[in-house]
Amino acid sequence: MSDVVSFNERQLDAIREVGNIGTGNAATALSGLLSRMIHMDVPKTELVSIYELGDHYGDPLQIVGAVFVRSTGGFQCSLIFIQPEEDAQLMVELLLKQQFGTFIPAGEVPQEMTDSALTEVGNIVLSSFLNAINMLLGTQHQISVPGVAHDMLSSILDVVASIYGQMGETALLVNTELKVEGLEEGHKISGHIILIPDPDSLELLLRKLKVV
Amino acid sequence: MAENSIVLGMADLMVVAAPIKLITLGLGSCIGLVVYDSFAKVAGMAHIMLPDSRGLHASEKVGKFADTAVPAIIEEMLKKGAVRARIKAKIAGGAQMFSLPGASAEFLTVGAKNVSETKKRLASMGIAVIASDTGGNKGRTIEFSTSNWMLKVKTLGKGVCEI
Repeated sequence: MSDVVSFNERQLDAIREVGNIGTGNAATALSGLLSRMIHMDVPKTELVSIYELGDHYGDPLQIVGAVFVRSTGGFQCSLIFIQPEEDAQLMVELLLKQQFGTFIPAGEVPQEMTDSALTEVGNIVLSSFLNAINMLLGTQHQISVPGVAHDMLSSILDVVASIYGQMGETALLVNTELKVEGLEEGHKISGHIILIPDPDSLELLLRKLKVV
Repeated sequence: MAENSIVLGMADLMVVAAPIKLITLGLGSCIGLVVYDSFAKVAGMAHIMLPDSRGLHASEKVGKFADTAVPAIIEEMLKKGAVRARIKAKIAGGAQMFSLPGASAEFLTVGAKNVSETKKRLASMGIAVIASDTGGNKGRTIEFSTSNWMLKVKTLGKGVCEI
């Protein structure tokens, strides 16, 4: 497997398009779940030095909520749904309000329940993302049980660094942001989806998209 | 005397003369390795990402892998006046940030491998690890003071401890 830095513009564009299809599906799923409009950014394919990952998504010490899944099968990859901790809390409040009809502050909800709600949202968003990609590629896939963490951004991104660190010095990430619309003034819920293709899966993807 | 501080990034490795504070922020599965000789007043820190460089893409950064970082940091310590028999080591980090029940995802346990490989390499060079705070599922921020040779470890939800 060659280092990802050798990919050309056309190939990076093709990978981005895959991200675009995944994101569209993920946004639809999140919108259904929260009964809100979702704004989605055009995804970016980024080549990031593994040594600079910690700073790439903002303050490396900010606390985030993150849901991680592993997908095996035709297109092996890892996916992270990552949110600022306040956004994650707000999203849990929104979900609970929708389910039970009354507002419960996130601070009064047991941590297990918050985590369970977050995991479920992450799972739905990331599964939808993967379904769309595998549909496009005509591949079968299985998704792991999601893992959840609340911690410093840079600690979470060590996962990405350790995957790509074995291949070289550069990580290839497909990266997009979803924003929930129609919230009260001053409230914000956003989340990043980061697709981390296994280096070997990238060749398959490029072959299928005929941009080898 | 006030200590200036240096923040090390991913895969950085540095040896300094006291008084300087060495800091690494937000360690997840990575390891913060500290070595020091309190008599010669030199100390080093490495932010190690992966256990073993063998068979992998070579890196210019010797701090990236445990098997290259440990010999490099000890050599640098000796160059700066440390004496091998006096060098002591402290280790923090090596967490497993996510666990996926039932999934085979070997790379998620890289933290534990970083810890064991670093300890093994230190042992083979005759360096004693006198304190460590490793494993678990939480990230850590570490600060090493060359005035009292203590390693301050901050963990989210667990506060600060000194080892």
